[in-house]
Amino acid sequence: MVSDVTCEKLREIGAEMALGVLPGRERAAAAAHLDRCAACREYIEHMTLVGDGLIGLVPGSEPPLGFETRVARRLPQDVTAHEGEPHTRASDLAHKAVRSRARRVRLWVASAAAAFALACGFTGWAVGTAIESVTASSSPAVEIQTPLMEGELTSASGLGPSAGDIYAHPGDPGKPGWIYMTVDLAAVGTPYSGKVVCLLERTDGTTIRVGTFTLSNGRGDWGAAASVDPAALSGARLTASDGTVLATGDFETG
Amino acid sequence: MGADRIYKCAELPVPVSRLPDEALLSGLATGDPELAVTFVRRFQRAVFGVAIAVTGDRQLAEDIAQQTFERAWRHAQIYDSRRGSVTTWLTTIAHNLAIDAVRARRTEPVAPEDLDALLDVVTETPEQWALADEASSQLRAAVAQLPREQGRALVMAGIYGMTAQQIADWEKIPLGTAKTRIRTAMGKLRNTLASPDRGDHGQ
Ligand SMILES: [Zn+2]
Repeated sequence: MVSDVTCEKLREIGAEMALGVLPGRERAAAAAHLDRCAACREYIEHMTLVGDGLIGLVPGSEPPLGFETRVARRLPQDVTAHEGEPHTRASDLAHKAVRSRARRVRLWVASAAAAFALACGFTGWAVGTAIESVTASSSPAVEIQTPLMEGELTSASGLGPSAGDIYAHPGDPGKPGWIYMTVDLAAVGTPYSGKVVCLLERTDGTTIRVGTFTLSNGRGDWGAAASVDPAALSGARLTASDGTVLATGDFETG
Repeated sequence: MGADRIYKCAELPVPVSRLPDEALLSGLATGDPELAVTFVRRFQRAVFGVAIAVTGDRQLAEDIAQQTFERAWRHAQIYDSRRGSVTTWLTTIAHNLAIDAVRARRTEPVAPEDLDALLDVVTETPEQWALADEASSQLRAAVAQLPREQGRALVMAGIYGMTAQQIADWEKIPLGTAKTRIRTAMGKLRNTLASPDRGDHGQ
């Protein structure tokens, strides 16, 4: 059993809680209080931001040489481990990863998950806990609030389930929006190589040309800063340089 | 691999290396090796910096930094831009992992000279901090203005992850005093960060 914690007591131990150094028993009592007190929750959340900021003051330091290559090599491999697939050619990995993961990709956590993490007494981003609450639950309590838009590309040939993914984000205040797409036309029988044009389609029927990039054997990933208005954006189109439509996609919001 | 992907750097309107942090993070989910390298390279200094500061052990710090990126990659979907930058997200992951690692080893968390050195470096403002955002400059100034004993308590709790009891033992002060120092220091920092127009004080 945990004893009751008053708001006053919570403010007394809040700093330690936010820094993640409150011993387990006290933390459980505090978490129980946070569960039912929005004001204290906000207080702790703010304190946690202070703690995160403090960590941000720690000076950077270069890791040993070759670190990024070692890490990056393990990331895509981790996909196969995760999905229990046998080893595949490295060049196929990325696209297999897209197929197996992108459907589940949901960027930006719901505030409900963050609140849950805080209520459980973890500091900072409370990675493990928040993840559990996001992945273990498809309940309406967990909703995506930042309007990331996501769409699946469908090949113009109509073959296959998916030719890639496109993401669009209107940007955070003061920052530009962006789009990012990953294309795999090889999977749908169009191993096109060459320049392609990315166009965004708007609800009023007009299209905006966002940029060009190159596909190699039907594959490519590309991103660009773009002005994204979620209310006016309906879909995207990928065309060859002669205008032939290669793939299309419709956006769904988060 | 490699050859067929090089085009991206040469021909992108926005090269991968110039993608916004958030786009790079979301791109990680695709498993693209080049994006992953760019992502790691962009943030490795901050991540490793936290890991080495907490653990004081380069090998352990490298393991922690590695785990941090693996987590970020697996859990990019929980990143919430409203709560802070991608850098902040990654450094807090690294911090949590580093604290866990130190606790698991049950070694002395910190040597006195390391503590003072870290407090000094956290509050100094050499040239490379000139580009830091305003909030962190304000925070740095606020930490610098704390009485030394409060600054030490703050670094011990907030960076080294020491409990109030450990701080009390370390500083040879009563537990209540250690708790008060943490609370007072955090209260001051919180007031610094609270913008005047935001009514975050109780209704
Ligand atoms: Zn309360």
